[in-house]
Amino acid sequence: MNSFLKHTLPAFAANNPSIEVSISPRPGRHPVIKGLYINGREKAICVRNMEPSEILKKAELLKVASGEKLRRERKPVKSWNESVRGVWSPYHGHHHSV
Amino acid sequence: MLTKSLKRALLDSRWPMPPTFLLPWAAGLTTVSHSTAASNLPPPLVSGVSNISRQREALQQDQRAPPRASSGPLASLPELPAANATSSPPALSQSVRELLPVLQAQGPHYIVAHLYDRPYLLTQGDTLRLPFHMKDVEPGDILRLDRASIIGSRDYTLKAATAPPALNQSTGKVSYVDDRLFVCRAVVMGVESDPLHVEEKTKRRQRKVKRVKSKHRHTILRIKEVRVRGLEEVE
Repeated sequence: MNSFLKHTLPAFAANNPSIEVSISPRPGRHPVIKGLYINGREKAICVRNMEPSEILKKAELLKVASGEKLRRERKPVKSWNESVRGVWSPYHGHHHSV
Repeated sequence: MLTKSLKRALLDSRWPMPPTFLLPWAAGLTTVSHSTAASNLPPPLVSGVSNISRQREALQQDQRAPPRASSGPLASLPELPAANATSSPPALSQSVRELLPVLQAQGPHYIVAHLYDRPYLLTQGDTLRLPFHMKDVEPGDILRLDRASIIGSRDYTLKAATAPPALNQSTGKVSYVDDRLFVCRAVVMGVESDPLHVEEKTKRRQRKVKRVKSKHRHTILRIKEVRVRGLEEVE
């Protein structure tokens, strides 16, 4: 973790100017990376006994994530637009008359 | 039992490892690369024979009368022109020339875009969660989706014309609209992952239970532009 803080973290922070990086000591506890997201949620990953490259991978994971809770979405497309072709109605079609 | 050719290949000093097609576990693999990424253009069709039909577009007016009209005659489908071999780039058909401006004028539009041949019905502003993790892509990158099978608005639909399938045969093949006719751009928003999923595999009267962990990752795209091009832009 120390070598990550000294060597890898400055480059990561420089590459991502939109991310605010702050370091605080946690004496007597495992080292933790915490990501704070716009929706107010927080993701914490314990990085004890990890190599700097592995810690960087976890940092990248936090970077690309949104703060949403992990959930399994069954439908791939999420849309807030109304349907383009309109809702089906039995009175407007040529196959059968009502 | 090793065959003679395999034995010879293993002992031969020319190759450090026998060629792929001789290895028993890799007999089906080939070294031909198939590019399936959405941003790659499809390879040119082999059109040596004159009666092979090329992709042609046909605009079809919806048979449904708009709800606002009280009672009007139903619009008839224009005949699909017979598909003949044309020189590249393929010329636009007559119906496309007539109706593309009308389609363009009637917003909003939807598009059925294909990524790795999977269709997604998209409009502008949608969030698309892909079933795979797209490599080498950072949040903020812009992707141009050029494979689409249908573009439409409320009353008009643009499809690619294909020959009708033979009787009792559904090939499942999709034909794509000419990508000069539309623009569809998406931004990469990030990568989400599923919650940890543990699959338990066991058999009856067998105490051993094998637990397989899986945690899939999905690239999230946001569609920022769905636009039909005008005739002047296309030609």
